[in-house]
Amino acid sequence: MTIRFDHVTKSFGPKTILNDVSFEVAEGEILFVLGKSGMGKSVTLKHIVGVMKPSTGKVYIGSTDVTQLDDEGLARIRRKCGMVFQQPALLDSLTIYENVSFGLRTPGYVRSLERPLTEMEIREKVIAKLRLVHLGTEILDRKPPEISYGMQKRVSLARTLAPSPEILLFDEPTTGLDPISTRAVNQLILELSRQLKVTSVVVSHDMACALEIADRILVLDQARILALNTVPEIKRSKIPLIQEFLEETLQDPGTGGAR
Amino acid sequence: MITAILEEMGSTTLFFGRVMKTAFHTQGNLQPILKQIIGVTLRSLSTVIFAGLFVGAILALQFNQMLVQYDAQIFLGGLNTSAVVREVGPLIISFLLAGKIGAFTAAELGTMRVTEQIEAIECLGTNSIQYLIVPRLLAIMISSLLLLIIGLMVSVGGALLVAVLYAGMNPVQYLSSIPRFTGVWTISCGLLKSVIYGTIVATVACQKGFNASGGARGVGRAVTTAAVYTNLYIVLANFMTSQILDSIHQFGEFIARVLS
Amino acid sequence: MILNIGRLYLQTLLRAFEWPWRWREISQFIVQIGLGSLPIIALSTAFAGMVMTTEIAWHMDEALHTITMIPGFTGQFILREIGIVIPALLLVAKVGASTTAEIGTMKVTEQIDALRLLKIDPISYLVFPRFIASIISIACLTFVAIGVTLACAIGVAMLKYGFSFLEYINALRPFIGVKDLFGAVLKGLVFGALIPIVSCAYGFECKGGAEGVGNATTNSVVTATILVIVFDFILTAFLTWV
Repeated sequence: MTIRFDHVTKSFGPKTILNDVSFEVAEGEILFVLGKSGMGKSVTLKHIVGVMKPSTGKVYIGSTDVTQLDDEGLARIRRKCGMVFQQPALLDSLTIYENVSFGLRTPGYVRSLERPLTEMEIREKVIAKLRLVHLGTEILDRKPPEISYGMQKRVSLARTLAPSPEILLFDEPTTGLDPISTRAVNQLILELSRQLKVTSVVVSHDMACALEIADRILVLDQARILALNTVPEIKRSKIPLIQEFLEETLQDPGTGGAR
Repeated sequence: MITAILEEMGSTTLFFGRVMKTAFHTQGNLQPILKQIIGVTLRSLSTVIFAGLFVGAILALQFNQMLVQYDAQIFLGGLNTSAVVREVGPLIISFLLAGKIGAFTAAELGTMRVTEQIEAIECLGTNSIQYLIVPRLLAIMISSLLLLIIGLMVSVGGALLVAVLYAGMNPVQYLSSIPRFTGVWTISCGLLKSVIYGTIVATVACQKGFNASGGARGVGRAVTTAAVYTNLYIVLANFMTSQILDSIHQFGEFIARVLS
Repeated sequence: MILNIGRLYLQTLLRAFEWPWRWREISQFIVQIGLGSLPIIALSTAFAGMVMTTEIAWHMDEALHTITMIPGFTGQFILREIGIVIPALLLVAKVGASTTAEIGTMKVTEQIDALRLLKIDPISYLVFPRFIASIISIACLTFVAIGVTLACAIGVAMLKYGFSFLEYINALRPFIGVKDLFGAVLKGLVFGALIPIVSCAYGFECKGGAEGVGNATTNSVVTATILVIVFDFILTAFLTWV
């Protein structure tokens, strides 16, 4: 599935967060969106799933214009998109098992498979997805507040992966994770993209991760696209802000996914 | 300020409409609603009983003091019960419910909003209004009604205690004067008010919680505004229902007079 | 929790001996609590006053088949009960909840620990000014509320039940005395002293992010409402006994 932003502008009152932004993400591509805090990175993601609507411009997923959809159409598109939030965003009143299986119980959850899953199939899927994020079955019956923050974030990722989305959207996927989990998450994004042709958009301020797994990097500044290029090109860039980001990775090789 | 309040009322009404539309257009599941009703009712039961006792007792003290001046203590049971059931009871107990249930729900939903749980539900392809709001709103409406009825019944007991222990009345004398004032009309007034206040508590709490934003501060703000607006709307609704019911009552008496 | 509230109460009272008082904060809070709540209190008590007259008239008509007693009954009821307890419960929501939310947010974002590190006593900086400001503002607001409620009650009596203003006042005068005014002041002061302490105590106890702030605010509103009702009973019993 491809994603395309067509001259998108978003303002909150007098403040413009995105100003005439256009770009395209190909199927199976990993795009990193970098920028300082408050530069419209999360807003970009929220436009893709239609949680926010642009002031002007259009957002396409495949050939569908997300901005024109009603609630039902949006629900259908969202089932193809997996969104990983900055916070774990697990439902506190449900167990880990119920959380991960949440998206599987929605009617018409997986593409090309419209019949409801049996409890056995759901259980298998839940365990498989938890294994993907290196979690065992012993936490299935616990509630989210009873496990560590890093585990919560990985459960959240498993929940997003459970309905087999075709597009993955990450909002700061590795903030608050230890280096080992960070590497695992990065590896997972890479595998999903290469093997299952999942399109990924990752919002981050971690240049090291971006250099490691991104196909292309988009840098947002002052509500506009400052640069959109492949990793080698970005490394050669002379733009001061990008230079700053690059220097950061050299000084602090311990964080993120740097080897 | 008036326009701000009217705008608030408008958006609350729209929210109620939106939830009702979702409730009727999607096939619902009764189980989560029942679960919510039991949860909400049990959580608030002791507080409501406690408050109900005191509300009845306070009014009995006041009315006793007034009626003694006229040497009309025999009316205490009737006047007090009627005043509590028709007016003061629903008002004060629903102020309490605005905190106990309303603020609680606003806090719960507000927390879910600011920790992105509601967005997560949406992104997993589930309608968050149907999943979170419909069962809560319906359950709170029903539980509030139940709790108000319980509170009003208890308040009669609280008043009786004061009448017997403080005013030295004969319990039989007190109770026998109740039916003279508290008839079907009075009870239905109390019930109608309870239904309306319950709806207000439920709608405002769900709306403020669902639309919260901005971290811990945002949750605090949602809870505060939910409590304030619930109380304000209840006072306004109290005025309107009282006036309308009074007009209906007078119209009924007029018809009765014409017929006889 | 009641113990915590009691302890905070004593601690706050002790701060009264720390001169000078923080008059700048106190006056800020008077503006915030008093003026900030004035419109909503005036609006809601106005409606409460109008309802009172209609309701009392209905009961009088039903019991005694006369409505000449409306002024006496309404006046007493407003001055002793409704004019005081309804604004107090609204203030619990308006002032109490926002105080807990504010202090709770400061607690979970570690601002209160920061104050301690700066050697600023949170009680004398956050609680004591609110305490004094709230006593002053709520006592004043109680009078405003009684005035508005009574004015609206008179308005309805004049328009709907054909009293003239003078008739009403003359019929009311024998029923209210200095004791009722004393009672109103006393209740206003007690509620004014109660609300900030309860809400601050819950604010300080708050822990654990957004959820904690929400729970603390809810508990604070419920506890304060219950305490207002209980103290109203105690004070009413005390005043009828005196």
